[in-house]
Amino acid sequence: MSNTNSPPPVPPYTGPGSPQEVPPAPGSSPIDPATLPGPIREELEAPDPVAIDTSAAELKDGLNRCPKCGATDIRHKHGTDLLVCQYCRHEWHGERVEEEFGFGEGHDSLEGTVIASGARDIAADAAHLMSFKCTGCGAEVTVNTENAMTARCHWCRHVFGINEQVANGAVPDAVLPFHIKKDDAVARIRQFVDKRRLFALKEFKEQFTPENVLGVYLPYMIVDGKTSVDVAGKGEIKTREYTRGSGKNQKTYYDADVYSVKRHVDFTVDDLPLESSSERGNLDTSKNTNNIINTILPFDTKNAVKWNASYLAGLNSEKRDLDVEELHPRLEEALLSIGRCQVEESMKRYDRGVRWERERIDVHGTRWVSMYLPVWLYSYQQPGSGMVHYIAVNGRTGETMGSVPVQQWKLLLAAITVGTFLEGIALWIVGNGL
Amino acid sequence: MSDDSSLAILLLGPAGATGLYWFLYRYYRNTDKSHGFERETAVVAKPVTGSDEKVGENNGTRETRIDGDNVHDYRERVQRVEDDSS
Repeated sequence: MSNTNSPPPVPPYTGPGSPQEVPPAPGSSPIDPATLPGPIREELEAPDPVAIDTSAAELKDGLNRCPKCGATDIRHKHGTDLLVCQYCRHEWHGERVEEEFGFGEGHDSLEGTVIASGARDIAADAAHLMSFKCTGCGAEVTVNTENAMTARCHWCRHVFGINEQVANGAVPDAVLPFHIKKDDAVARIRQFVDKRRLFALKEFKEQFTPENVLGVYLPYMIVDGKTSVDVAGKGEIKTREYTRGSGKNQKTYYDADVYSVKRHVDFTVDDLPLESSSERGNLDTSKNTNNIINTILPFDTKNAVKWNASYLAGLNSEKRDLDVEELHPRLEEALLSIGRCQVEESMKRYDRGVRWERERIDVHGTRWVSMYLPVWLYSYQQPGSGMVHYIAVNGRTGETMGSVPVQQWKLLLAAITVGTFLEGIALWIVGNGL
Repeated sequence: MSDDSSLAILLLGPAGATGLYWFLYRYYRNTDKSHGFERETAVVAKPVTGSDEKVGENNGTRETRIDGDNVHDYRERVQRVEDDSS
């Protein structure tokens, strides 16, 4: 390979424990809980909030007017994907974008960059505040698209939803309605925190009120792609293992054959989610806890319905501020990681491991769809550091993850106590020459 | 008991304390968690192709793994190349 380029800029924090590491397998633990003191073990072994499978039923959407009576007071029926008319109680479904626009097919024939209309570039001069003339009474109604997509006319009670795609990026192509109700989210957050009370910050425990959880629609780009990845490096196979020396000086040595290895894989990905808010996409765990929200991915994006602002009534939303071009480097990083994961299986014979040295990606085609995904979000700002700790519940599957601030002195005391106990055993062993 | 093994045993206390601290810190703060998109994204891959060519030997080493082993570290980026004339 020639014409080498330097790798793309690395994120600011990539050390141990950062989300740039491949996350541990669900349910795995580096320490066997059975070896830990009773109170810690009890916390670890308490059950986690259960994520449910939402291989969903038909979802729907519709117009902002009730198809039966024409009223505009339309709400999302929580726990379902239905919209319900507040006037005549008529309920109806919308169209899934997967079938409506053919997003679920043709991955293998993707070429170039296909961008759905809601994922187009954000106009530089686009305003967050948008004014509409009420069709009922003619009054001017303003909607702040930074955090809301519906408003009610203060004169005639007509409800507005921003349904047409506007240049400020606030209107996505699709929305995935909440399935998990608030009570369920509160219970899951409480269960999650109850497993982490022993060393939690005292102020956090005192102020813990999960009822304050907020339902938020967060902006994502859902990407399909067709890609080729090449990797090259060195691998070693052990040929001999032997010891030299005797008694105290006995040491183990290895002989190995060194191979130059190359791998190529062509693959397609379906519905890879990328945060399209620059703030949410920053996963620097030394400065924020956005990795918590990242962890509750993925969503059943196959069930997303065509955009209808009525799904957002009474809920908050965050606006997208990244365009497709700005997300391309992150997409390539993700595709390279997927490629490396795909070739891993073919490297099993290299029992001493492989050192990948060069990699190459060729993105043949991508398809981008802008989508709002539902998240229940509980936040706590830690006094002093100002760090905002999130506990997030996936609004579809109920998968729960969180960051609970720790009482440092308690944690250090526990660690030193256990360390002292272990050191006592060590001294006894050394002292008795065992 | 050799000096090496005595030293190793005496490190048990500090290592245990550090290990427990990091384990509990991560359990509460979950700083090591993120979306495992490598395994959780729907991927349809064609069969992997490639080549394996013996280029030398590494004899008499005391290391159990190849230097710089990153076969499982999918997110660790290495030198990016632009053409495929390799």
